[in-house]
Amino acid sequence: VQPPERPLQAEEWNRLRESFKSPEIFEEVMFNSMVRCNSSIDVAKSLLTHVAKSNGDIAYNLLVKYLALCVQQGQISEICDVYDIMKIRFRILESGAYNLLIRGLSNSDQWRMALTLLEEVKKHMIPSRTNYESCIKAASRHQEMNLAFELYHEMLAKDLVPTLDVLQAFFEFSRGMEGAQLQKELFDILLYLRDNQIYPHETFMQSIKLWFESIPGGNWRGHLTNIKDSGQCPVCNHQLEDSDLTEEEYNNLSERIIKDVIHGTDTFRKTSPQEFEAFQTFVENRLPFDIVIDGLNVSHIKPRRMQCENLFDAVNFLAKGNARLLVLGRKHMLINSSNWKREIMKEMQNKADFFFAENISEDDAFLLYATLRSGKHCKFVTRDFLRDHKACLSNSLTRHLFRKWQRGHQIAFSPSSIKMVLSVFIQQPAFSYDCVVQTTGDTWHIPYKDYFEGKYSYRVPRKWLCIQQK
Amino acid sequence: MQSANVLLRKIVKSSVLPFATQHGMKKDLFPLSRTLSLSLCLKQDSSGSPSEKLDLDAWKKVMKSGLQEEVSETVSEPKELSTLAAAREILEMWRLAGRSVPENISEEQLKTFMECPSKSAKKKYLKYLHLKEMYKRNDKRKMDEKRERRLETQKQASETDAIRKNSFVCLWANCMDKAYSWRVAQSMIFGQPLIFDMSYEEEMSVREVANTVRQIVLSEGSNRRSVDPFHIHFCNLKEDSLYHKEFIKHYREAWGKLLVTVTDQCYTDIFPKDKLIYLTADSPKVMKTFDHDKIYIVGSMVDRSIKTGVSLARAKRLGLETAALPLEKYLLWNSGAKNLTLDQMMHILLTLKDTGDWKAALEYVPKRKYCGFVSRPVHELKKTLNLINTLKLGKRQEAVRKQFAKNYSKKLMQK
Repeated sequence: VQPPERPLQAEEWNRLRESFKSPEIFEEVMFNSMVRCNSSIDVAKSLLTHVAKSNGDIAYNLLVKYLALCVQQGQISEICDVYDIMKIRFRILESGAYNLLIRGLSNSDQWRMALTLLEEVKKHMIPSRTNYESCIKAASRHQEMNLAFELYHEMLAKDLVPTLDVLQAFFEFSRGMEGAQLQKELFDILLYLRDNQIYPHETFMQSIKLWFESIPGGNWRGHLTNIKDSGQCPVCNHQLEDSDLTEEEYNNLSERIIKDVIHGTDTFRKTSPQEFEAFQTFVENRLPFDIVIDGLNVSHIKPRRMQCENLFDAVNFLAKGNARLLVLGRKHMLINSSNWKREIMKEMQNKADFFFAENISEDDAFLLYATLRSGKHCKFVTRDFLRDHKACLSNSLTRHLFRKWQRGHQIAFSPSSIKMVLSVFIQQPAFSYDCVVQTTGDTWHIPYKDYFEGKYSYRVPRKWLCIQQK
Repeated sequence: MQSANVLLRKIVKSSVLPFATQHGMKKDLFPLSRTLSLSLCLKQDSSGSPSEKLDLDAWKKVMKSGLQEEVSETVSEPKELSTLAAAREILEMWRLAGRSVPENISEEQLKTFMECPSKSAKKKYLKYLHLKEMYKRNDKRKMDEKRERRLETQKQASETDAIRKNSFVCLWANCMDKAYSWRVAQSMIFGQPLIFDMSYEEEMSVREVANTVRQIVLSEGSNRRSVDPFHIHFCNLKEDSLYHKEFIKHYREAWGKLLVTVTDQCYTDIFPKDKLIYLTADSPKVMKTFDHDKIYIVGSMVDRSIKTGVSLARAKRLGLETAALPLEKYLLWNSGAKNLTLDQMMHILLTLKDTGDWKAALEYVPKRKYCGFVSRPVHELKKTLNLINTLKLGKRQEAVRKQFAKNYSKKLMQK
């Protein structure tokens, strides 16, 4: 239905309502389309008046819809009126109305009322992260940074993940403000980005840059740059952190892989205890390897060729540098068949160590174990993104570690090129540095994403913001 | 007490309302006081229209007027609410806002609701309750209608008052039950065992266990009615487990009289290992024929979250043979997981046992999951495909394959 252009009289509404095919939901449908068409609130008011006069009451959902219209148009006095009415009528409101009220009020001079509303929400339920977002933005817009940070910490304590908008608001509105405490808080936000491997987008990056440059007496300068493959920043010649894990992180990760990925709830799901033990002794006797290859994955790179030829090419290519290779496969590869020729398999076994798992076992888990066990220099070859194994890890911290380790250690052949080219993560050359927000105290390096860049989680940004103190 | 209060308030509210409307009407007659606050554009607008007097804020007066007395009342009420009552109140507001929330909710359900770990879990649970309530209400309505109709026909029948002659007393259901019981009792002595493995309780949520038991109850029913029933074993069924409680909920006192073998022992303790075959969709081996000398095991598990390899792991641990249904071989699979419900499994196994006909048995696979039956065995089709490809080897390989697939599907359509 098309909402009318001007307020209508009761009879006119009645006529409209009767012409509508299901009169009992007429008001709801009408209000919905008013919100969609952004009608003048006077039209909505006239409908409310009509409803109030004919029923003597207005249903809660109609009030909420009217509220949505008011919020959409920023009609502050109306929002307050509706709130007053709701407060008399109902002891508590539900989250939808609270969301609207907080959003509407936080954008106005009455923003402190949004804060009291937030307190009210807290009594009944956990506020949503958008509730906090509205309040934090309102507080920081009015330069009440302490209040904003208080809300921010409260939000984190409730395990709510802040939106990037909230984080940006802090940088946007702290520009030019003084205070050691404030500076520390903002640095903490940058470290939060680091810990969670979040990359800011372009406008957010600009806010960060401008804030740094505005610090009174800070003498910070920011430049946009691309980092060389060697990991050196072209602006300040600083060498970025490498992607190696610390000793502790490394041990933690390998422990978790064994526990969560290989054993999981039941060792028999992916392998069997005997098989895993056999594999462990096999690996221990031949350590350390330089490259571990997922044989079956590599053998499917070029679908037109025989599978064992694909593998043979890969092994030959990698064996050139005198590297110690381990190829993981399944037992069916040993049976002479159209895809797996015995002679070629024999020849390969002279160049690399092979381990054949049972046909129903998961070889990826073995791949991870062997690579981690060999040490930090060891890399592994597969096109698999290993998402399912990452998902097996029990906490997000370990998952981040896994991602970081994977970035630095996975090699993938790209199938398109005629000559096989080594590259990590198909589209990207090998990263010797870690792509994450980092600092040395007097420099900051912050990777950021273009707005239009695809949001592939495996793709890391190439553009950096370099900030240094003169 | 709390709800009584709410009720009271509602009554007060409704008794005040007629007065409120009158009040509002009266206001309308007075020369406008607040209407002057209309926006400018509206004035221009209304200058052309015949309706000039339109109090746009009248609804506020109506909403506020009837409630002046109530304000004092709410203040005097005790502020502190028990958490349950508070949750109930929030639900009530959600219902007013038009979300899918059940109208009535029991104390127990409310507790489950509050224990949900996240907002989305809460929403899901409420929607589930809401739908359940709707179904119940619909069923009740249908039942009432049926009863009315029956009463009417009875009335008509008594009017005509015809006496039918029949050599049997009308005891159909009872007789059938007895006959079925005889058959099942016989199968308990001579029949082929079929095992339901009840060791998956930790892998499932409460609702999944309830679903599982429901499916088993259905399968037990169809087994009982079949010509040559299995001897059903419930193995690894622990006393006081969730499974057990759910069974009792379904069967009540009939649970003790059920003609099945219930044991907390593992099947490997009862039967020789080499006779057991664990049926699981993850098995690399495909079942070719139904073997009347083997003992098949079905895992009693519903997994909505698709946990692969759980039942295969059980079989591996115990060193049992496994098998999967030859779904790929006989059906052109369309979509959906290959794991079937327990009652579907039961139908399939019963049909296989009686006829050995795969086509008839696999009729019980849900139709949405497959496109049709494969006319010839898939490996034969694949062989022809490979032959054609080797004959026309070269760049057109891909095109040939596509063409073949097209023809093949056309052939299927014609059938």
